Amino acid sequence: MIEFHNVTKRYEGGFEALSNVSLKLDDGDMAFLTGHSGAGKSTLLKIIALIEKPTRGQALLNRINLNNLARHRVPYIRRNIGIIFQDHQLLFDRPVFDNVALPLQIQGYRPQEIAKRTRAALDKVGLLNKEKSLPITLSGGEQQRVGIARAVVHKPMLLLADEPTGNLDPVLSREIMEIFVDFNQVGVTVLVASHDLGLIEELDKPRITLNNGQLILNDLADTEQEAYSGWK
Amino acid sequence: MAGSNVRRDRPATSNRISAYLLHHLKSLLFSLDKIYQAPTTTIMTVAVIGITLSLPGGFYLFLKNIDAISGDFRSSSQISLYLGLDVSDKKARALEKQITEMADVTSTRFISRESSLEEFRQNSGFGKSIDTLSSNPLPHTIIVEPVEGDTFMVRNLLNTLEAMPEVDIAKLDTEWLERLYTIIEIAKRSVIIVTILFAFAVLLIIGNTIRLDIQNRYQEIIVTKLIGATDAFIRRPFLYGGIWYGLLGGIISWLIVEIGYLAIAGPLDRLNLLYQSDMNLITFSFHDFIILITSSTLLGLAGSWIAVARHLNQIEPT
Ligand SMILES: Nc1ncnc2c1ncn2[C@@H]1O[C@H](COP(=O)(O)OP(=O)(O)O)[C@@H](O)[C@H]1O
Ligand SMILES: [Mg+2]
Repeated sequence: MIEFHNVTKRYEGGFEALSNVSLKLDDGDMAFLTGHSGAGKSTLLKIIALIEKPTRGQALLNRINLNNLARHRVPYIRRNIGIIFQDHQLLFDRPVFDNVALPLQIQGYRPQEIAKRTRAALDKVGLLNKEKSLPITLSGGEQQRVGIARAVVHKPMLLLADEPTGNLDPVLSREIMEIFVDFNQVGVTVLVASHDLGLIEELDKPRITLNNGQLILNDLADTEQEAYSGWK
Repeated sequence: MAGSNVRRDRPATSNRISAYLLHHLKSLLFSLDKIYQAPTTTIMTVAVIGITLSLPGGFYLFLKNIDAISGDFRSSSQISLYLGLDVSDKKARALEKQITEMADVTSTRFISRESSLEEFRQNSGFGKSIDTLSSNPLPHTIIVEPVEGDTFMVRNLLNTLEAMPEVDIAKLDTEWLERLYTIIEIAKRSVIIVTILFAFAVLLIIGNTIRLDIQNRYQEIIVTKLIGATDAFIRRPFLYGGIWYGLLGGIISWLIVEIGYLAIAGPLDRLNLLYQSDMNLITFSFHDFIILITSSTLLGLAGSWIAVARHLNQIEPT
């Protein structure tokens, strides 16, 4: 699903946020991306989501090289990814239902289909009764769950979450993480950036750890050599 | 995602097409809804566009009326033939008959030397001094009314008549009219320049409004890009917004010109009644109306297109 080959990301101004990172995440895997603040977690996720481009090395998503993708192809690649942000990025001028339905509208689904899938996604995160509410009236945990419903409503193959529990208390954090585990169990590949080490420990999933832009721990590492030889 | 990796549950093509049309309709209504939600901004923008466009619209209508009035003058242009003093009354009347039968002539009127003198005596106030003259200094006059036609035809007729031996002077009273035509021609070009300038102003007004609209919806644009919206999808509501501004502005400008027309048409009617004239103002024809509305709508589309091309692509998630 995701392959990084010696990816280096240097931001304008010269700061190296990722240095020579190589990793591989297979279809159906779930992993946590950890590391101190500023370690490069968000940068790594942004490269996968086509928000940033690697300075050196190769990043691949389903064997598609993300380094020099034509602009017009970007939206279509993104439609296969569900992204969850720490600050949810909800649109506050419209109700929960419209927020969640947005990916389906963008992809041109019919209204009946949109209604059906949107309600199913809201049901999955336990917010079916809030579909008419405005996001501003919801609690932080509920807003995050709306963000998750929006990320999964179009059944993406890959879920990326950038510190989704950063602002939540431990009980809500656990609930959110368990939703991700559920999605992974039905076949969705999941990569979650988090520094909630206690919770990660409990969930017992592979970890990828960054430190100052360098990969210092990779529980998926044994598969990486394979991937590399397969590449030549 | 990649060729072989076909997505699950992708909507069928026919569904996609109708969903596409549906999206167009939705963007159209959505942009209308945005207008409805921000009525003050919209009313201001539309009013400015309307006032701006009413100027070239009003000029155009003014010229159209001047053209019609001067057309009336043209059709009533006359040629006056002053005959030689030695031409006899009988000869002059024979000449009049001959001219009447010419193809380019509608009618003629003969004014004899005697009646000219009589008229002059009565109207000029020089009655007594005229009585002291030993002979009549005024010639026989024939007034020729040409058939309606262009200046070239009238000039030709004038030359033919002037070449006749009995004719001393042939005079076409249209020199001032030609001067008027030249002025109208200049005015027409000015209207074209004004129209281009004001169309440009409308383009800038709409472009700026759409630019602000894009800025206000920055967050929405970022989010929709992140979840896979194409540029076309994001562009659409803004383009429809521009179309609405143009269309409504065009209608306002039409209303402004119509109201101005009514304000002038009333007094003119009274004037007609007093002087038994029949000057009629013409207003926009249906054809003019369609052209006005279509061009203002296209201006709206163009203005928003420029704004979208310049500002939308710069907004990328970071
Ligand atoms: N757009 C940017 N321009 C310059 N430096 C950046 C930019 N984004 C992130 N950085 C820097 O890159 C480093 C890694 O950032 P990030 O990937 O956000 O780390 P994390 O998500 O692990 O906290 C940080 O030092 C940050 O300041
Ligand atoms: Mg981060």
